[in-house]
Amino acid sequence: MLEVKNLTKSFTTFRKEPGLKGSLKALLRREKVIKNALKSVSFKIEQGEIVGLIGANGAGKTTLVKILAGIVHPTSGEATVLGFKPWERDNEYRKQMSLIMGQKAQVWWDLPALDSFLLLKEIYQIEDSLYKKNIEFLADTLMIKDQLKTQVRKLSLGERMKIELMAALLHRPRVIFLDEPTIGLDISAQKAVREFMRNYQSEFKPITILTSHYMEDIKELCPRIMIIKEGQFVYDGALSEVQKMMGDEKRLTVTTKEKTFKLSVPRSELGVKMSELFTANEILDLNIHDPSIEDIIESIMNYGIKTP
Amino acid sequence: MRWWRFVVASEIRKILAFRADFWVTFIGQTCIQIFIARSLWLAIFESSGKTMMEGYTIETMTLYYLIVPIGSKMLTGENMGFLSREIYEGTFNRYLLYPLSFFHYKTITFLTYSAFYGLQLALAFIGYQLLFGQFTLNEFIHLGYGLLFFMIASYTYCNLSLFIELISIWADNIWSLMVMARFLCFFFGGAYIPLSFFPGALQAVIHFTPFPYLISLPINAMMGKLHPIEMITGFFILLGWSFIFSWLSRRLWDKGQYAYSGVGI
Repeated sequence: MLEVKNLTKSFTTFRKEPGLKGSLKALLRREKVIKNALKSVSFKIEQGEIVGLIGANGAGKTTLVKILAGIVHPTSGEATVLGFKPWERDNEYRKQMSLIMGQKAQVWWDLPALDSFLLLKEIYQIEDSLYKKNIEFLADTLMIKDQLKTQVRKLSLGERMKIELMAALLHRPRVIFLDEPTIGLDISAQKAVREFMRNYQSEFKPITILTSHYMEDIKELCPRIMIIKEGQFVYDGALSEVQKMMGDEKRLTVTTKEKTFKLSVPRSELGVKMSELFTANEILDLNIHDPSIEDIIESIMNYGIKTP
Repeated sequence: MRWWRFVVASEIRKILAFRADFWVTFIGQTCIQIFIARSLWLAIFESSGKTMMEGYTIETMTLYYLIVPIGSKMLTGENMGFLSREIYEGTFNRYLLYPLSFFHYKTITFLTYSAFYGLQLALAFIGYQLLFGQFTLNEFIHLGYGLLFFMIASYTYCNLSLFIELISIWADNIWSLMVMARFLCFFFGGAYIPLSFFPGALQAVIHFTPFPYLISLPINAMMGKLHPIEMITGFFILLGWSFIFSWLSRRLWDKGQYAYSGVGI
């Protein structure tokens, strides 16, 4: 199980004014800025659950993942994953955990993937038979068998991501942190990664936290989501419940002679609003629909959850 | 195979992947440095009218400057920035994720490079002795001692480098610090001028620092200039400095891990 209680993380950075004057000034004195990346975050995740962590850039998603993977220390608060404090970096914990960062390579670029895998086999002390089985399973499912002997730096972005996935899952981790695994991938590569993760999750039942800006990743993989805004959770619950929260609203896309604009209108006021629109404008096209999950999540990220 | 043996094999594969670099640094750089040093020292010997200066003839001085460039590379092992660059780029994270100590991992890669340059040094030494001197059992033993001392010196230098490079957790760019440390090691280690040419008082002072044990000691061992007592004391002093730098770098990491943000570019 993964349990987090009142986790807080602050970073100290330095602000510098732009231009030469600012640079000269910064030589003598720098302005210290404390950024609170996480503010007292608490949650629990059970074994076998896959949870989507959603938030705007700089909301604190990656910081949370880095703390849980043991890369950075929290400022305060508690977290236990499989009974370990991640930042103590117990080897027993690290053998059961994996972090995949879409924007950062963790395998060795100058080596063919198979060489990196062999090194990881030794690092994680994976038995020969299990190693062979895993390589076969992962390479087949990810359809990357032909690229395993090529230097990683010579592979395409999509192929590299698959190699990263293979490297991260070679030791069959019980906890997986996926930080934007489909970033920069083309649509078919995104689909392949999602398909693979879905199968992997159902077969091996790890605890998985997935952060992604692509709602398709979240919609397809995560029955539960956590929305984080400025270091605090604004929602933690079922993805299906999110849609119900704004079920009372309708979205209108209106095209007039001059422009196209969108409106959110409470269902009860729909008739009045439409009559107003037709009176005030020459309407060329009108589309009425329920808000999409993307719309709802964007609205929650921007304005929080509306309470009745 | 244990993981560290695999790391050694991987690093050797990486080094051998750049064949041109191997030959250019081995032959090109060494020849150029010997040519410059020999020309300068020939002029100095001629103008002084002496055949021996501070225990060196022009032949032994040439051998000294044959050992210096490759020996220095052996000492400094992996390229400057071998840890700070990874911290800067964010790839350092992987050593925190894998169930191993990054100190061990980095020390092994560092020493693999050192051992590789040790091979170059042995080839150059044997080649020079066969062409211009003699290669008997004595020279073979001296070569062995020299390589052994260079390896221990390299381990010491690795620990010193780990300490300096970890500072990049707080300061993004520590290039000038690394260059300065290397210059001090080279200058007071005798890489530019043999230490016997330094003023007596300075020689006495620098023996309280690790520098002469990093370059001068291994070179003297390789040239057969060391008394067994000097070798034994040198060995323990080097180990002592290794221990100090290793302890310092670990204490620095104890503090640094709280400041480390794992960001990178």
